[in-house]
Amino acid sequence: MLTHKIRLRVNGTRYEVEVESREFLSEVLRDRLFLTGTKESCGLGDCGSCTVIMDGIPVTSCLILAVEAEGKEIVTIEGIAPEVGELHPIQSKFSECGAVQCGFCTPGMIISAKALLDRNPSPSQEEIKDAISGNICRCTGYTKIIKAISAASDEMRGETATSDER
Amino acid sequence: MMKDKRYSIIGSRLPKVDDRPKITGSATYVFDVDLPGMLYGKVLRSPHPHAEILKIDTSEAWKVPGVRSIITADDTPKKKFSFIQDMADKLCLCETKVRYVGDEVAAVASETKESANEALKRIKVEYRILPHLDDPVEAMKAGSIRIHEDRGNVAFEVHKEFGDTKAAFQKADFIFEDTFTTQKVSHSCLEPRGCVAQFDPSGRLTVWSPTQAPHTAKQELSRILEMDPGNIKVIKPFVGGAFGRGLVIDMIEPIAAILSKKTKRPVKIIKERAEDFSTSRTRYSFVIRLKTGVNNDGRIVAKQAEVIADNGAYNDKGPSVVNYSGVCLTTQYNVETLKYDAYLVYTNKQYGTAFRGFGNPQTQFAFESHLDDIAHKLGIDPVKIRLINANRPNTKTVTGGLITSCGMVECLERAAIAAKWDSKRLIDDIAHNLSRDKEGNKKKGFGIAANIHSGAGSRYYGYNSSHAFMKVSDEGKVSVITPAADMGQGAETVMAQIAAETIGLKVEDVTVHTGDTDLTSYDLGAFGSRTTFVCGNSVKAAAERVRNEVMSFASEMLGVTEDDLISINGYIKSKEEPAKSKGTVSFQDVIKYGISQKGRSISASGEYFDAVAPTVSLTKGYGSHIPTFAFACNVVEVEVDTETGEVKVLNVWAAHDSGRIINRNTAEGQIEGGVAQGIGYALTEEVVISNGKVQNDSFVDYKILGSKDIPKIHCIFVETDDPEGPYGAKGVGEIALIAVIPAIANAIYDAVGVRFRDLPITPEKIVSVLRPQSVQ
Repeated sequence: MLTHKIRLRVNGTRYEVEVESREFLSEVLRDRLFLTGTKESCGLGDCGSCTVIMDGIPVTSCLILAVEAEGKEIVTIEGIAPEVGELHPIQSKFSECGAVQCGFCTPGMIISAKALLDRNPSPSQEEIKDAISGNICRCTGYTKIIKAISAASDEMRGETATSDER
Repeated sequence: MMKDKRYSIIGSRLPKVDDRPKITGSATYVFDVDLPGMLYGKVLRSPHPHAEILKIDTSEAWKVPGVRSIITADDTPKKKFSFIQDMADKLCLCETKVRYVGDEVAAVASETKESANEALKRIKVEYRILPHLDDPVEAMKAGSIRIHEDRGNVAFEVHKEFGDTKAAFQKADFIFEDTFTTQKVSHSCLEPRGCVAQFDPSGRLTVWSPTQAPHTAKQELSRILEMDPGNIKVIKPFVGGAFGRGLVIDMIEPIAAILSKKTKRPVKIIKERAEDFSTSRTRYSFVIRLKTGVNNDGRIVAKQAEVIADNGAYNDKGPSVVNYSGVCLTTQYNVETLKYDAYLVYTNKQYGTAFRGFGNPQTQFAFESHLDDIAHKLGIDPVKIRLINANRPNTKTVTGGLITSCGMVECLERAAIAAKWDSKRLIDDIAHNLSRDKEGNKKKGFGIAANIHSGAGSRYYGYNSSHAFMKVSDEGKVSVITPAADMGQGAETVMAQIAAETIGLKVEDVTVHTGDTDLTSYDLGAFGSRTTFVCGNSVKAAAERVRNEVMSFASEMLGVTEDDLISINGYIKSKEEPAKSKGTVSFQDVIKYGISQKGRSISASGEYFDAVAPTVSLTKGYGSHIPTFAFACNVVEVEVDTETGEVKVLNVWAAHDSGRIINRNTAEGQIEGGVAQGIGYALTEEVVISNGKVQNDSFVDYKILGSKDIPKIHCIFVETDDPEGPYGAKGVGEIALIAVIPAIANAIYDAVGVRFRDLPITPEKIVSVLRPQSVQ
């Protein structure tokens, strides 16, 4: 079995990992770095559960060969909250808006949302729907996910969202 | 919708109590369970829909480095199994015959996934291919080949008649007859089905399962493995979607257990996505023949249905499903004379199981489409014909059922008003004529459909009771131990809210502990939209006992009688002078007082006891099988492109009577998710099986809705106060999916004037009717 030594940064930490040629980034993250927040649902890039940010771009990590991640900067769901016990605004809005049900698509969904808001701080509803169109959710019907991403963008821009009655 | 002022927590939009691990990536699903020494299991499955197994040769597979065990039927107890054991028909590994593409033949446990896969490839199985059956109507004909040697292909029948239908049809002003068909659909849970099994050295088995019914799973494992159930523990970690498929064990669970026993190591089996689509079971497809007698005034006087359901290769939940669809069909409207006949027929296909709605979406698609037709033919408004026949509160039905709280009429009225049904129809009629004149190809239409479903489980499978425990820590934190199984629907949150409201705490002071059969009391599981009602009632009962004891200590501490105290947000205060600090004591202080001054550490148990015994058989009359019903009415607006056949759902007004709403976010989440699944069922989803093999086994080919396919969903809550529900609540999970399906079919009819009777209503089907020349 051919192996390669790759270097990559994940959530700001440098790693050097010995990987096999056939190994995918999702496997490196989950099985070698124990970052199991990244889920894998189809292994074909169809569902978006394994989405991570690689050099600023959202990618389905089940389709990225580990060797392709050489020298790359990766952000996973474990890496977006500022501190232990704190949450990124997208995470808090997912919770507040009821955007989470079974949660299996949630990490990929939040990561896709983060990639969107990083490049477009005030997306329209259509742009939000586009950004998560590669992320399948079977539970929520997406409505509250779209609302959560919208509310997070408001908060991150320092605008207060008009909230529902509580 | 305003929150009820009497409550501080019930009816709010509180975030889910189990969100934090899910949004931070720390939630552990079966998919993530990793134990020291764990092996990877893989199952060798039949490539043929029907064949005899002549020989299995595993010798080459054993040579693969890393292989630790290979098992075939000879390594298993060879005990046939089914959800209802009297109807057992399935071995965990096939011995003499395979009956569908995907049937389990052998299994491997190995050090790595790769070596397990390599070993599978090297197992040689000799088959003698048999002719196979894929059409239930054919399969039930006399002289058909048998799928199970010891029985005919009709696995189960239901025959029920209430009143004299023959006479009623003779007297009816009109008789309408029609036939509808529905397809197999896949739960398509995002978490692929998996399990981990571990025998410990004492011989005790622990299974991690994405189950909705841990105690049932434990009993099922004990039956198929011939083990003492006391020696089995089932753990339900976070579950990545269920929708009914977690109600019966998957055969990978006993297979992993046997592999673990052989190897003395934990064994994990996770299905590949294609394997999941092909073997994790589906919704049952139905053929539904309806005959309905109606009088001039729109009153239904006789209702008759015959169902032929495709069981697939094994029984699983099939008997219960065809039975339950009859319960709903005969209870939905106030009709005096009813007949229901169902045939559950074996075929050589992936078998079915429970799926959100449990047989009700199939027959309700048929009946609510049929009723729409009747309304149009009689010139009665579709809303009005439903109002004429709707059930009212406190009705004893001719089937022996009891309808207590019932917001059917309000659901119809409020959905119609919200959708501006009357004015829209008028405007639309004009618009249609105009657009037809202009030959525009985008036609809009509105459709309505109503529905009934259980709001509290059922009394088929045992007493519908449940128990909860509560422990209060010395810091004043409450631990709720409940069998309520959360698969994402929010059960733990609802339990925490009920406990907090009842005791007078904040939700953050309550933690919910569940998902472990050693920890929780026996419970039937999360099905039949029963958890909020049944488990919620038991949590409320336990919380009332905690509250009573807290109030008695507080009364001593404050020198105020218990009747003059209120408990809210973590403080117990005098009703009279709540502002004065002397009149207030914190919950935490009361707990400390109990421990230090009275020697009492507070704990309690509570139960929901459903006194109605589960004595009625599946095949006899119905009786009061459902403790209480939920009701719904959906109005749907669609736009049909007559050129392409594409249907866009633009708006859904979903009015629901699920009693009092405990958490608006989670209840809306159920409706929005149910509507999305319902739209998929109506328009895009179908498990296509050809030559016995599932053809569309990926998320690209099996089309569930994406973020851009979602209409505006308007949730309307008709909050009846159920007399038995905790804080008046009833279930909402399943009914959320149902009414939208026929409402879409009715809206398409309204838009283009064509009745589609076969699901899913694909662009191809629409184009083939509207532009037959284009598809020739």
